[in-house]
Amino acid sequence: MDVTLTVNGRREQVEVGPAETLLGMLRERLRLTGTKEGCNEGECGACTVLVDGLPVDSCIYSAAATSGRSVETVEGLADDDLGRDLQAAFVAAGGVQCGFCTPGFLTTLVAVLRENPEPSEPELREALAGNICRCTGYSQILDAVAATISGRNRR
Amino acid sequence: MSVIGERVPRSDGRAKASGDAEYGVDHAEPGMIWGALVRSPVSSGRITRLDTAPALAMPGVHAVVTAADAPDTRAGWVLRDQRLFAADRVLYEGQPVAAVAADTLELAREAAAAVVLEIEPLPAVVDLDAALRPDAPLVHPDWESYVPALGPDADYPRHGNLAAESVSDPPGVDDAFARAHRVVTDEFVVQRQYQAYIEPKSAVGTYRDGRYTVHTAHQFPYNVRDRVSQFLDVRPSAVRIVGHTIGGGFGAKLDAALEPYAALLSKAARGRAVKLVNTRTEDLLTCPSREGAITRVRSALDEDGTIIARELEVIADNGAYSGEMPWLASIALHCARGVYQAGPTRVTARLVYTNTAPTGAFRGVNGTYLYHAVERHMDHIAAELGVDRREYRLRHLFDDGEELLNGQVLTDAGILREGFDAIEAAAPWAKLEAERRPYRGVGIAAAWWLTNPMPGTAVVKLHEDGTAAVITAATDNGSGAVSMGVTQIVAERLGIPPSDVFVTLPDTDVAGFDAGSQGSRTTRIVGKASQIAADEVITKLKDVAAGLLEAAADDLEVADGTVRVKGAPGTSVPIAVVAATATNTVGPIQGTGSFVTPFPDFNPGCATGLMLPSFPTPTYHVHLAEVEVDPVTGTVQVLRYLVAQEVGAVISPDGTYGQVMGGVTQGIGYALHESLRIGEDGRYRERTLESYRLPLAGDVPRVEFFPLEHPDPDGPHGAKGVGEGPILLPAAVIANAVGDAIGRPLNNIPITPEEVLAALQTAELRNVEEHMR
Amino acid sequence: MELSTADSVDAALDELSRRGERCRVLAGGTDVMIQLARREITPEHLLHVERLGELRAVETEGSTRLGALVTHRDLAVGRLGPGYAAVAESAATVGGLQTQVVGTIGGNVCNASPAADTLPALLVHDAEVTLRSVRGSRTVPLAEFVVGRRVTTRAPDELLTTITLGRPIPRTGDVYLKVGRRSAMEVAIVGLAARLTFDGTGVVTDARIAVASVGPRPLRSVGAETALVGGTGDAESVHAAAKALLQDVDPIDDVRGTADYRRRVIPGLLGRAVRVCAERAEG
Repeated sequence: MDVTLTVNGRREQVEVGPAETLLGMLRERLRLTGTKEGCNEGECGACTVLVDGLPVDSCIYSAAATSGRSVETVEGLADDDLGRDLQAAFVAAGGVQCGFCTPGFLTTLVAVLRENPEPSEPELREALAGNICRCTGYSQILDAVAATISGRNRR
Repeated sequence: MSVIGERVPRSDGRAKASGDAEYGVDHAEPGMIWGALVRSPVSSGRITRLDTAPALAMPGVHAVVTAADAPDTRAGWVLRDQRLFAADRVLYEGQPVAAVAADTLELAREAAAAVVLEIEPLPAVVDLDAALRPDAPLVHPDWESYVPALGPDADYPRHGNLAAESVSDPPGVDDAFARAHRVVTDEFVVQRQYQAYIEPKSAVGTYRDGRYTVHTAHQFPYNVRDRVSQFLDVRPSAVRIVGHTIGGGFGAKLDAALEPYAALLSKAARGRAVKLVNTRTEDLLTCPSREGAITRVRSALDEDGTIIARELEVIADNGAYSGEMPWLASIALHCARGVYQAGPTRVTARLVYTNTAPTGAFRGVNGTYLYHAVERHMDHIAAELGVDRREYRLRHLFDDGEELLNGQVLTDAGILREGFDAIEAAAPWAKLEAERRPYRGVGIAAAWWLTNPMPGTAVVKLHEDGTAAVITAATDNGSGAVSMGVTQIVAERLGIPPSDVFVTLPDTDVAGFDAGSQGSRTTRIVGKASQIAADEVITKLKDVAAGLLEAAADDLEVADGTVRVKGAPGTSVPIAVVAATATNTVGPIQGTGSFVTPFPDFNPGCATGLMLPSFPTPTYHVHLAEVEVDPVTGTVQVLRYLVAQEVGAVISPDGTYGQVMGGVTQGIGYALHESLRIGEDGRYRERTLESYRLPLAGDVPRVEFFPLEHPDPDGPHGAKGVGEGPILLPAAVIANAVGDAIGRPLNNIPITPEEVLAALQTAELRNVEEHMR
Repeated sequence: MELSTADSVDAALDELSRRGERCRVLAGGTDVMIQLARREITPEHLLHVERLGELRAVETEGSTRLGALVTHRDLAVGRLGPGYAAVAESAATVGGLQTQVVGTIGGNVCNASPAADTLPALLVHDAEVTLRSVRGSRTVPLAEFVVGRRVTTRAPDELLTTITLGRPIPRTGDVYLKVGRRSAMEVAIVGLAARLTFDGTGVVTDARIAVASVGPRPLRSVGAETALVGGTGDAESVHAAAKALLQDVDPIDDVRGTADYRRRVIPGLLGRAVRVCAERAEG
């Protein structure tokens, strides 16, 4: 079946299977490989993308369900003010090590900060429960978020 | 301006944060098809039927290969005990039996499922003690015919299910125990730990023009090259390994995994590129996880409570094949006393074959459970004596000039006391004790560790625009050792910004041998090799610039993107101009550097089977943790965690802290959350990331870190290894803290809420009973 | 396999009536997509109902009714208002943010997992579920709807449309407590919901206790409830309630925890729940 949707601001028409995941559609059909597959079961959050602004695990989200919707992936974050700030802060604060979880963290955080521009650290730790980072131990990721928030407040 | 010790953003950071970085799983080639493995569903059995015809008959299937299609040979890192495919017997669940290549991944998996595989189950060897009994079935009935990778002369003590053994039996142990005032005995059991990098393993193989090329995100490309060449029975140079950005490895991507299958499938599929990707469950089941082990330790004490002798026996689970394990087993000798004087110490390390997935390296390797055992044991002794745990440690602590069990002398072990002092300044022990609250506890422990000495090399090549490329097979597994460490070191030497230094991804056709991202070695070894290479570049720059500046080469210096006359910075020429001039006159400028750390002197007669004889470039570590136990659920929260660590010199503060914070987090997971149990049938019980629980943001505190800097004269800018140390002690300090919190010792890792709650409720029951009496 | 997207409840019911057992309802997909990938289910047809806006409504005037497509996130942020802390807390522990923004309450109920977090919370609020089909509509107590491990009385042509909860009662506190090994992302080792109503002197006048992950399906313990009524949440009544609760449950050893642990943890958990309810009833 064909679905028509917007991906990072661009209209796409894609043929998808009935059980196909959004992750498969992004990676294999649209060759947007920035979104990562870590577990395929909604446990690690590496595949997080935004669907109509909501952070979803694209590995367990139906590709067909995106029909008419807007999908934002890590590749589109550079076009977003908040996304760009977060990307820069992750690199500057040591929030990236192997980087495989980074796209999922960034997309999740874009959604979290759009809803609440100044979450506390405990709120952030809770909001990030669905994103696993095996490298950093999270502290420098939280530093990056703090730097993003303070940077945006200064502007 | 120096960039050493400065906060320099990692060179691959932007690509990783934008989605541009190409990881192993992202790599694709024109005309690429997909592979899948048929894996054994049982841990021990005899193959009675293997029929690939139904898979081959499926449209879109290009090839199906089995043991019959692979060279009749065995391969292995240390011992050649492994076949590419199970031929007659399967030895662990998940062992490859066949491989298929098809047009799509889905079709490849369907075809793999269509292969008919029938296995007659055999008894599985699982229990470590039972495996060593004379009547135990042999995992490898042919063990005697196996040959070490380095040839028959490199053989080592092994027998039957005993995959390797190292024994040190110095004089005086039995005498000391005979005259001991008190003997304290413990047994510790630890489970396996899965590395659980977020990028599952993958490989893309091609066979063209008689050579195999494999694209893979790997920690040690040259090791993969050697393994593929062994399995496929070609010389190493007939294999080319091309590295990609790695989504984490932590030791699990040091040996070949899917690469030889991708290579063989491509050959069978007439040279089409074939991609294999593990599902998370395949990855978990077959990963060379950190081994489970039983450690038994007893110490003899004199009337003052001083330790006068020790005996330590460790039995570790090798799994079905050896990999790197025999080499690592002998580390027990270096950790058997921890960092405390304990008199003559008898150490026996046994590595045991079982019908389970092969185990392997995971950051900190066996140090994690050896230190857990030794440091739990120290708490136990202190409790028996009724003395303060910290004070008791300080009383026995190594000092400068300590001679170890292998004869190695630690000239700088006094750094340990600085570590204790640094922790004490931030978290005074007496204050912690005075402020004790119910269900809270504190643990403290210390360790020493090596910086892996193995060789590395780099070419530094100057572009005509004044930027530099570093060509090396070293890999950045995420630590920043290359993207920050090596990059900064080269930039510093050449006087150019780190953003003008580009380090290649590994390619064994291009870059010289590198011993891989392991053992905290990359910043030190490859950094040093790159520094040497950069120095050759500098010499050449000066020679060419001497002509341009009409000055003697000796009077020149390279700084701020220029070559200039010392003391006359106005007389200078940009590096780019010198480089371009060189290319057109004397030829392009590049330099080469290689480095390897010699092993420290040791006494070869101190032990049998001592394959890793001594610890080069030692580092020192002191950790403290404060925990809180929930008396209702038995769960444990780590409230506070402190690390004092000798790092030589901080090259990158973010990189260094990232290693400490990340290593401690993995250690907290090991201690509390991650459970990898093996059933009596040899199969893992945890099989997904739902039940294999990795620590989340809410499960770890921010680590308070106190770097100790005693520069190593041989290291680049004094750097020593950083990455492994942080994971050595969390299990030890958390176990000690939990014991302190609940007033009862818990000697197994992980510490489960089940055990904690049972211990608490038993204690409560006893209190009630005592109250009633 | 094929997939169709329903654009009205009636259209969905028509489709279900036509296809019956061969059809699987797909809402947020957080369970169904995993089951499909693992090939645990192989339906001929997927009926995507997640676009049915009429099933997203939350009504708090008069009766408390929530559409089957209300997400865990909606509940976790408190869309039901005060008096339903247990529902909010249970929904907040279903997976992570990514699962909560798409996972639906109707899906959680119909999936009928023994470890379903929201079920004990709904049970202590006397939840009833309404199912519709082309044949009509029926409303049944949740306790009679979920009848076994992953088994409900939903007929193949029925669609769960609405969940109705009891109205908030003054001087009442409720709570959901979950036992797991990490701070989040846990499938409950034990989940326990409680709702206690007190009189002016602190005596429990009404009680609801329900548990998950200690038997084939989440269930209420009338024995525990009876033991608590008439007491003040004192140690003695909690002890008696725990004893009764332990008689009602039938925990097993599984990959997440042992039966022994589940039994050990219940009394303390119940005590903690009673304390929280008492505090919340005052507040």
